Amino acid sequence: MQLLRVNMRNLSVRWEGTPDVYEHLGGRGLIARLLLEEVPPTSDPLGPHNKLIVAPGLLGGAGVTTAGRLSIGAKSPLTGATKEANAGGTAGDALGRLGIKAIVVEGQSAGAASHILLVGADSASLVPADEIAGLGTYASSDALVRRFGNDCTVITIGPAGEHRLTGAAIVCTGEGEQRSNIAARGGLGAVMGSKGLKAIVVQTAASKSVPLADPELFRASARRFAQELLNDPKLGPKGGTHMYGTASITAAVNEIGSLPTRSFASGSFEGISDLRGEKLREVILARGGQIGTRCMPGCVIACRNVYVDESGAPIVGTLQFETIALLGANLGLGGLDEVARLNHLCNDLGLDTIETGAALGVAIEAGLATFGDFESIASLLRQVGEGTDHGRLIGSGAVTTGKVLGIRRVPAALGQAMPGYDPRSLKGNGLTYITSPQGADHTAGNAFGARKEVNPLGVEGQARLSLKLQILAAMLDSTGLCLFARPPVVADPQLMVDMLNGRFGWGLTKDDLDRANRDVLRTELEFNRQAGVVPAAQRMPEYMREEPLPPHGATFDLPETEIGAVFEGL
Amino acid sequence: MALEVELSGQLLPGTDRRLTLLLDRAMTVREVVDRLGMDPEEIGLIVVNGIQSELDDLVPLDGRVCFYPPMTGG
Repeated sequence: MQLLRVNMRNLSVRWEGTPDVYEHLGGRGLIARLLLEEVPPTSDPLGPHNKLIVAPGLLGGAGVTTAGRLSIGAKSPLTGATKEANAGGTAGDALGRLGIKAIVVEGQSAGAASHILLVGADSASLVPADEIAGLGTYASSDALVRRFGNDCTVITIGPAGEHRLTGAAIVCTGEGEQRSNIAARGGLGAVMGSKGLKAIVVQTAASKSVPLADPELFRASARRFAQELLNDPKLGPKGGTHMYGTASITAAVNEIGSLPTRSFASGSFEGISDLRGEKLREVILARGGQIGTRCMPGCVIACRNVYVDESGAPIVGTLQFETIALLGANLGLGGLDEVARLNHLCNDLGLDTIETGAALGVAIEAGLATFGDFESIASLLRQVGEGTDHGRLIGSGAVTTGKVLGIRRVPAALGQAMPGYDPRSLKGNGLTYITSPQGADHTAGNAFGARKEVNPLGVEGQARLSLKLQILAAMLDSTGLCLFARPPVVADPQLMVDMLNGRFGWGLTKDDLDRANRDVLRTELEFNRQAGVVPAAQRMPEYMREEPLPPHGATFDLPETEIGAVFEGL
Repeated sequence: MALEVELSGQLLPGTDRRLTLLLDRAMTVREVVDRLGMDPEEIGLIVVNGIQSELDDLVPLDGRVCFYPPMTGG
């Protein structure tokens, strides 16, 4: 496989063979290693020495269900640390089929000129992006698909990324008309914008089947993996994830008192009836929208939806739990239509809905809008695209918004906003937020699914659980698997070993795989250490330790010994 | 005494999401499940008065119990 290096300073591209030391790395693992070896840890995240890395997982392009996630990484302008965010869509699969291990974008273009990177089989070039400069992600993607054909896949930023706002995301197209698969976290859209890169277009027509070292082993294990997902009561065709999407958990998170409500002032929202997954499904089906659609080719879980308005016209696809939490209950909004409209706006501007929802909550606390008042909130959000001072604040994320507006209740850890689980009543997630090298990111180790292992409100066992989940997330993010696809490989890690050995013929053992997953975290922690991100810099906000969260009156009360113990077993 | 019961997701079809059970004595969650005619194997999460609970936990006479199917966070 090849590395494609793109130098934005002199607008050149160069193909390289993959060095042996990177052979076993993919997705997040490869990004972590490249950052540690090639990016000065103390460099300015929006400066010329940072690198934007786009990498499919190890199984990308091989036809394994749910394994087409595309990892994108850089030193994060939000956290100042290593960052990987991944998205569905068709790009992960396409790059894997093209034999591209990673695209490494280096340097910065002169001035404000932006470019499009065109990638095909053994070909790559940069062309001016004049026709789409300043456009939202929907219009940008549509224009590029029109220009380069329906069989291309587009990775783009919106105005937020072009303005280098640190809440900016990177948006990937999917099958057909699908537009919004988003590598959302960490402000990576701002890094892409800082390079002068508006979009990457991958020609999928040139892609081919990937070689298999042991086709029989690969196909048998991949088939078993898919079947076990289909058999899983959570994920199969009768499972909640398929029927209600990620919103299947909304009511439960609310009931256990962990749903961010009115800028994390409560864990329970009185308007939950109209935000829960069952309502989402009911509204979508009644209006002629779609539910149970997939974000990646061949995914058997299919948890996406197309949320439509009363006339049946799409508002956004897809409306997800995290967005419902942060742009809904967190802003005091109890209507899915309102959340969907804010979601569409965020997607078009190229913003992370988690970061933006948290920033809006902080801004509301400062009096810039009103909880529950859609118009005041939408007006504030629209200002991101208008480039006003308030808009730039919101687009820069929760911490910047809080600092400028003098609000100390900012739900963030390591500079990054917390997702849809208040850590006071789901302490395992809190521990991940404040220890993960990725900052406050539920995808780095989500304890919600491990409720039966460790009491969400208790102290005991949280460190062990968080580490286990963080190691697991590193594996999923490095192989390209969706987080939801973890049950079969947790139950039998040999399944993942067999898929990798079938694909590459490496002769891995389960111990090798475990060591590799742990190495991802070690590499990330080392980058962060060299970047000056020490544990003392990654704390739970003081108010979450002191301010009881209704309805349980919970505080984040894990002792320092438990926090400090997370990586002892690494 | 009245126990408020809420069902979610795939546990829901064919019945009301919210119902009230009249209890004349303290019961375990399992007894409530039996009374509702539910299969315990189909339940993924039980929350009693906001606290994650198990089948053998006691249900307060005036409490609220919510049943969810197996589910996972992303």
